[in-house]
Amino acid sequence: MSRALEEHTGEVRLRLQADSLPGLFEEAALAVAELMCAECSEPGGGALPVRVGARDREALLAAWVDELVFLSETRKRVWSEARVEHLTDTEIVATLRGFEPVALRTQIKAATLHDLRIAETAAGSFEATLVLDV
Amino acid sequence: MEFPLKRVDDVIWELPRWHRGDMRVPVRVLADESLLAQVQRDRSLAQLVNVATLPGLVRFAMGMPDMHEGYGFPVGGVAATLLPDGVVSPGGIGFDINCGVRLLAADVPRAGVDSIERLVHELSRSIPTGYGRHGRLELSGDEMDRVLSEGCSWIVRARGLGREEDLDHIESRGSLTDASAATVSERAKQRGHDQLGTLGGGNHFLEVQAIDEVFDTAAAEALGLRRGDLTVLLHTGSRGLGHQVCTDHVRIMDAVHSRYGIQLPDRQLACAPLSSREGRDYFGAMCAAANFAWANRQVLTHTVRSVFTRILGRGTELRVVYDVAHNIAKIETVVGQRVCVHRKGATRAFGPGSSDLPAAYRDVGQPVFVPGSMGTASFVMVGLEASSEVSFGSACHGAGRALSRSAAKHRVTGAALRRELEAAGIVVRCASNEELAEEAPVAYKDVERVVDVVARAGIAKRVVRLKPIGVLKG
Repeated sequence: MSRALEEHTGEVRLRLQADSLPGLFEEAALAVAELMCAECSEPGGGALPVRVGARDREALLAAWVDELVFLSETRKRVWSEARVEHLTDTEIVATLRGFEPVALRTQIKAATLHDLRIAETAAGSFEATLVLDV
Repeated sequence: MEFPLKRVDDVIWELPRWHRGDMRVPVRVLADESLLAQVQRDRSLAQLVNVATLPGLVRFAMGMPDMHEGYGFPVGGVAATLLPDGVVSPGGIGFDINCGVRLLAADVPRAGVDSIERLVHELSRSIPTGYGRHGRLELSGDEMDRVLSEGCSWIVRARGLGREEDLDHIESRGSLTDASAATVSERAKQRGHDQLGTLGGGNHFLEVQAIDEVFDTAAAEALGLRRGDLTVLLHTGSRGLGHQVCTDHVRIMDAVHSRYGIQLPDRQLACAPLSSREGRDYFGAMCAAANFAWANRQVLTHTVRSVFTRILGRGTELRVVYDVAHNIAKIETVVGQRVCVHRKGATRAFGPGSSDLPAAYRDVGQPVFVPGSMGTASFVMVGLEASSEVSFGSACHGAGRALSRSAAKHRVTGAALRRELEAAGIVVRCASNEELAEEAPVAYKDVERVVDVVARAGIAKRVVRLKPIGVLKG
């Protein structure tokens, strides 16, 4: 499992890697939390159930990140723990736990569909690139 | 990949339509040799070529001198589609709908103010950043609909935050009549309900400046700008509400564009004919989000005025010089055609005589604000008549990024930059050194060069230069 930022002149390009597709979505959630807060606190409070749908697997990844951003803004929390319960190409069911940040680092506006890719490697792991507007 | 652009005028370069089979119009870029070399280094030209494939485009897809890589459209991209069936593309406006710049001019000279540190400190305390709850204007459901429908005028008239004459000096008087609150989702309204009066993050900022050079005395006089006076430049947009409007409608258009026979080289260019239901719904929601953004800058103006009064004393006047949108689509007449002009990181720059300008500025042209990077000068320009023919009545919107955020942090540390700015007499308020480094001057193009290209292209002329003395980074 890994997450890294790649060069993009104006925005943030995320490169994600995980052993499984659910792991890739969980990795995306961690990357979003780390962008929002330099140091994430221990998640507290109850788990928040989330269900997100989209047209296809790539759009689902963008919609998942958008949901995290929406829930952060409206609930004033950063989601540092995501557990995927169920995942298809068009739907994700998960639970989130998070914390109330003291200060935000990068405010994410949205996930874009630009250059959005999810690929399965020969070794069976999954990789994705995703550009975020920040 | 190097794009084989040919010079067609002093600072106008063109990539012909036959460069790629799916292009419908040529690509044009405003640049000198140095800026052209910079845009060849990122993906902005490839993105502009993709834009040139959109149905209904007229004349060319254009890149401003501050153009850089974005998503879908490049930042600094301008394109116009013919009505009624040309497309509207939410990606051609961006997530931060009506991100824009407002300039306020104080009637006090810099020399007469010895409390800049206190002023900037008080501004940073009064203007909310992050998720904090102070200083925000919270809206009920009905109030939200009024803001979305009426924009700035509701803030001034119903809430008393500002003056009637402020409205005269805002693009479209801060209210687009095509706005439709009904096409803005509940999620968007939920995101925006407590965000009026907030700056937001990224490259948003508030800068206290002094007018340090006047280039055009008559135009400066018409705009009420005097050498030595203090100004405040606000850069922010429609916050989460606008972001959600774009997200919602990109998703809708991503699902339906093939129904209209539209093939796209990039999903983020998702679009639909403006005459279609999806096109009309997006346009109504975009106009509503634009109204929200103008309302946001109006609430911030009220906060800034309160701080100036508190620190500099009663009677300190802060006048709205103008307020421009630089992420927006507008229905305009350009060279005799009714078109939908998409400006993504570009400012409207109508020349003198336009009936869209306030009476006081009709003889000089539309004010165009070109913020420099943190610590460098910003410029006030005014649009010229030739902008209609050359650039769909548009000009640049800033210096334009040259380096990614991570590359900027490799070049300069935030602590060193903070020391450098303070040594230059600039008071800085920014939550972290890391964020400061991301917006370092080295990350941006040379604003003087960008402004020079705009002037050489004949689309706008310089009026005054603004020197920063205090920066509050969002």
